[in-house]
Amino acid sequence: MKFIHAADLHLDSPFLGLTSLPSTLLATVRQSTFTAATRIFDRALAEHVDFVVLAGDLFDRSEQSVAAQAFLFQQFQRLADAQIPVFISFGNHDYAADQHQTVAYPANVTTFGPEVGTMTITLQSGETVAVSGFSYPERWVTTDPVVNFPGHARTDWHIGLLHGAVATGSADHYAPFTVAELLAKRYDYWALGHIHHRQLLNDQPPILYAGNPQGRSINETGAKGAYLVTSQQGKLVPEFFETGVVDWEVPTVQLTATTLSELGEQVTTWLTDHPAAKPTLTAMTATLPTAMDETMSPDWLSLYQKTHQRQMKASQRFIIRLNVTTPTTPLVAPQLDQVYWNQGAKTVFTAANEEQLFGKLAQNPALAEWFDRSATRAQLQALAEQNLRQIMGEAGHDVS
Amino acid sequence: MYLNQLTIYGFGKFHDRTFDLTAGLNVLVGPNEAGKSTLTQFITAILFGFPTKKHPALRYEPLDGSRFGGEITFTQNQTRYLVTRTDGPRGGTVTLRNLTTALTLPPESLPHLLEPVDEALFTSVYVMNEPRLGTVFSASKQELVDRLRHVGAIGSDFWLNQAQILGKQADELYKPQGRNPILNQQLQEHQELTAKLAKAKAAYDTYWDLLQRQQAQRQQQGKLQQELEQQRQVTVQLEQQAANWSTFLQWQRLAQQQSLTTTGFTREDATELARLTGRTTALTATLKEDQTKLQRLQQTTKLTPLFTQYLAATAQVDPLFEQLATVKAANETCARLRANQQDYQQRATAIEQQYAPDGQMPRPFSLATLQQVKRLQEKLATANQKRRQLQQELNRLNEAYRQAQPTRRQRSNPLADKQLGWLAAGLVILIGAMFLPGTLFKLVGALCGVAVGYYGAFIVDGETPASRQLQDLTDSIRDIQAQLREGGQQEDALTNQLEAVGDSYGLGQIPVDQWSAAQAAIGEWEHLTQQLQQTAEQLTTQTQIISDFQITAEQALPDLKVQPLATVLQQLAGLQVTRQALSSQQTDLTAVAETIQRTQRELNQAQRAEETFLRTRNLTTVDDFYRHYQQIREQDNQAAQQEALASQLGPAMQEALQQYATHAELATTVQRAQHRQQDLQSQLDTLTTSLATLAGQLDQLTASGTQAALQQKLANLEAQMQETTQAWLTKNLTRQWIAATLAAASGDRLPQIVTQASEFYGKLTENRYTEIELTPNTLRVQLATGEWREVGQLSRGTAEQLDLAVKLAFAVVMNQRVGMPLVIDDGLVNFDEHRRQAAYALLAEISETVQVIFLTADVTVNAIAGNLIRLTD
Repeated sequence: MKFIHAADLHLDSPFLGLTSLPSTLLATVRQSTFTAATRIFDRALAEHVDFVVLAGDLFDRSEQSVAAQAFLFQQFQRLADAQIPVFISFGNHDYAADQHQTVAYPANVTTFGPEVGTMTITLQSGETVAVSGFSYPERWVTTDPVVNFPGHARTDWHIGLLHGAVATGSADHYAPFTVAELLAKRYDYWALGHIHHRQLLNDQPPILYAGNPQGRSINETGAKGAYLVTSQQGKLVPEFFETGVVDWEVPTVQLTATTLSELGEQVTTWLTDHPAAKPTLTAMTATLPTAMDETMSPDWLSLYQKTHQRQMKASQRFIIRLNVTTPTTPLVAPQLDQVYWNQGAKTVFTAANEEQLFGKLAQNPALAEWFDRSATRAQLQALAEQNLRQIMGEAGHDVS
Repeated sequence: MYLNQLTIYGFGKFHDRTFDLTAGLNVLVGPNEAGKSTLTQFITAILFGFPTKKHPALRYEPLDGSRFGGEITFTQNQTRYLVTRTDGPRGGTVTLRNLTTALTLPPESLPHLLEPVDEALFTSVYVMNEPRLGTVFSASKQELVDRLRHVGAIGSDFWLNQAQILGKQADELYKPQGRNPILNQQLQEHQELTAKLAKAKAAYDTYWDLLQRQQAQRQQQGKLQQELEQQRQVTVQLEQQAANWSTFLQWQRLAQQQSLTTTGFTREDATELARLTGRTTALTATLKEDQTKLQRLQQTTKLTPLFTQYLAATAQVDPLFEQLATVKAANETCARLRANQQDYQQRATAIEQQYAPDGQMPRPFSLATLQQVKRLQEKLATANQKRRQLQQELNRLNEAYRQAQPTRRQRSNPLADKQLGWLAAGLVILIGAMFLPGTLFKLVGALCGVAVGYYGAFIVDGETPASRQLQDLTDSIRDIQAQLREGGQQEDALTNQLEAVGDSYGLGQIPVDQWSAAQAAIGEWEHLTQQLQQTAEQLTTQTQIISDFQITAEQALPDLKVQPLATVLQQLAGLQVTRQALSSQQTDLTAVAETIQRTQRELNQAQRAEETFLRTRNLTTVDDFYRHYQQIREQDNQAAQQEALASQLGPAMQEALQQYATHAELATTVQRAQHRQQDLQSQLDTLTTSLATLAGQLDQLTASGTQAALQQKLANLEAQMQETTQAWLTKNLTRQWIAATLAAASGDRLPQIVTQASEFYGKLTENRYTEIELTPNTLRVQLATGEWREVGQLSRGTAEQLDLAVKLAFAVVMNQRVGMPLVIDDGLVNFDEHRRQAAYALLAEISETVQVIFLTADVTVNAIAGNLIRLTD
């Protein structure tokens, strides 16, 4: 028995956090979610797998992408032609409510309903497989759905299909569960979805997140793909295969530049020395021993991107962000006591003050979402400190 | 820190002049133009640098051309430093020496030594003169606060400046009410893009609609295709049916013809008939030919008319020749039979006269009866004989009895001896025989022995003793008498039985002893009767043979009619003879005749065969057969044709066509089917076109990519916006942070300064005012009476005193962190006498903690203790 476990295809959803991208890469990026998904289905056909399970978030409902739907129809038809069944449990992004289900996917596709259901199939080898799962009826599922899963069926294999996250105890909106609960069901395999980083929650029986087949933001680094699961001596053994078209990387590089032109040269050298195997969106953090004399204007990177297209293409690395950091030294203001800075920080870096300052910008959903991220606030303070250091540096120069 | 010594090389009106200062209060007294302000400026210039040459009035270059500059010795943290500044670039050439360690220090370290006091702070706080004291009145709210912050936090000017720059930069990024800043523009673009995307997303619903329609239409298409396919088949079938209509009609017509189902008219039959008729014809011809030939031959040979007649009927006559002998014999037999018949008749009549007087012939006995009668007669005879024997026996016995009775004799019984003798002899012979040689002799001997023994045992035994013999005789006589009686009865019964038999057979009148003779006569009579009968039958047979013969002969030869048989026989014999003669003499003729005969026979056979052939078919003539045969052939042809048509049509087609009465009806149906097909085809075409259009629309929607592009663009824009917002927020937060830090830094000392200032202010105003308070907007002071006064409500002098009090308080409070000499250049001109004295006292008090350099034109100052220096000296 052999099947493919994939999740979080997020078809046709845009790449996040890109301010600019060379046009050559734009087409690749735009197609990447499709290409990655196609690689999964290609593998399914090449391996003659018995079936495919997709653990939710095939597409983003909010995107309402025609291309995504057309793609799914086309790919499912391919699998249908090869008589490969597909099992889908919709997740929080493609939750089932109000979908255009009048036009059904091909007959080989089984989509689970809002209640936990179990489908049983008999493989060509004569083995029987039960697949249990459910689909999100709305964006959030706050109750633990595992209790509704049946025990191991009277089949050779039983596979659980679950889109959700391990319970944390508070604000669990995504089908909170515990690994112990899953183990208690005695299934042969738990195909999880929702978390974009692939990870193994349990070794045997495998309880595992397949991760998404294509990283779509700076947070989704590393090799992306799906799992080919085969039965070996009565156990199901998952084997990862890569499908990502475009990779994301966040290298931290030690550089010695003291000026912007030096920085540019050193970044270029690094690019030449570290070519990537496939297009890689690189958000670089350059660590400098001392602060540079010049401040980096926001346009500097876009200028660099324009002037170094050739080098970036050669190394397949596209610098999408360049953060420059200098070693963190305690903030010593020449004229003001550290105490006062700390006191000032306490009054300024409060949620209330920040929100007040953010003000009307909160009306923009994209900005509001960014602002609400936990990392944002910390980053703001770090950046402010960086600003201060820079000003102090200037002050130091003035004095000398 | 305090200044120890001021040495002026050349500065303003001074040259080569040295002033020694103490750590406490130094009062430098001089009239106007004595150089009080010059000295104040000298201290500032040496410590913080000469003003640029753009402002020559502030540089105080020496008027007499002596060396510009000077030196100051000061003590800080118990270390003495000497700073020298002479004319040079960037505020002058500085040398710095640590006098305690006698080391020359780099000039750059001077600001650090003075830190955190810079020129601005020094001039604004530590250096006081009358105009500067008045600035408090012109201070706006913000300026006042800033000034207080400035006073409160060293170097805050720079930070305030930076904060302002950050604010400007932030404003370039975003203004909540603006249009042009970057983020404002980005937000605008975001709005536009979102609208565009929403429009693009409308395609999503369209897509699903199209998809749904496509699915529905595909199903419909499939259904229509199926229908069309069926309809096509129907139409094709119907068209085929239409094409077959004429065939069908023909088939129908043929099917309606009645069939003659007669056997015996096959081709073989016809051939057979042809063969038969041919043979007949051929034979007839041959016969005719032969007869002609015979006639020709006869003409050459003289023949009796009878023979001629015979020749014509050889076939009939020839068998007669063969019968000739038979008939002759039959004729003789007839004669003999008639004689026999007469003889039998006479004999039978004789018997009848003897035994059947009444004409009734007794019946012969059956075999059983015969035997019975014989037995009865025998028994009767036996019974008679036995009776006679018994009579004789009785007579004898009676005689014997009579003899035996008187002579009774004693009789010995030698029986046992005799018997034993015989048995012994037999035994001896038997045993002796055993010794004889040869089996035969042994056997014979044994038998002899046995016979002797037997004789002895049984023969001798018959002799009875005489006593018993008499008794036996009596018994025998009685027995025989009984037997005689019984025999008489038996005889009577037998006689009766015989009489019954005689009656039943009509032999009643004949005595029994004649019965066997009578029986023989009856048997003969019956035999005769039979003979008669047989003879009569034979006669009839023979007569029949003869008459048959005669009839045949007469038929064949009419000349022989009404002639006695003998003549006929004679004639026929004559014919035979003639024929034999002819046959022997005239071979040709005979041969011809034979041929004719044979031919005639064959012809007859042939004709018979032909007749049989026709008769079995219920026909009379050959022509009938052929007519019939032709009909059948015709019918067969038609059947074959029909069959061919049927197979051409097939059973299904036949069945289908039978549903239609007329061709018109079929044609209408065909037309209807064709119309329906066309209709379906056109529907399908429309649907196919529609589907193609749908597919095109779907392809366009799928492939347009506008949405994806917009989506990515929007995502990118959002990323940019986030960056911009981040920068904006960072700048604003940094600005706020600086402000907050400054506030914190000053806010810490302000209360101290305010308290100190209140105290000083009270001393300066002879306790008329007791409290200074920093309000959010400005300063206010409290009178001893408890009233509050705004700064603007104070008199000039009182306001200057407030400023002085604040500055002194600042210097005193800040001295904890940094010590700087207070330089007061004739700042108390607007003070009244009391308050001036109070100020002097205050200065003296302060000088205990802070070096005070007080420059004044007031000569009355002598009253104050301290280092008094007269500038005019």
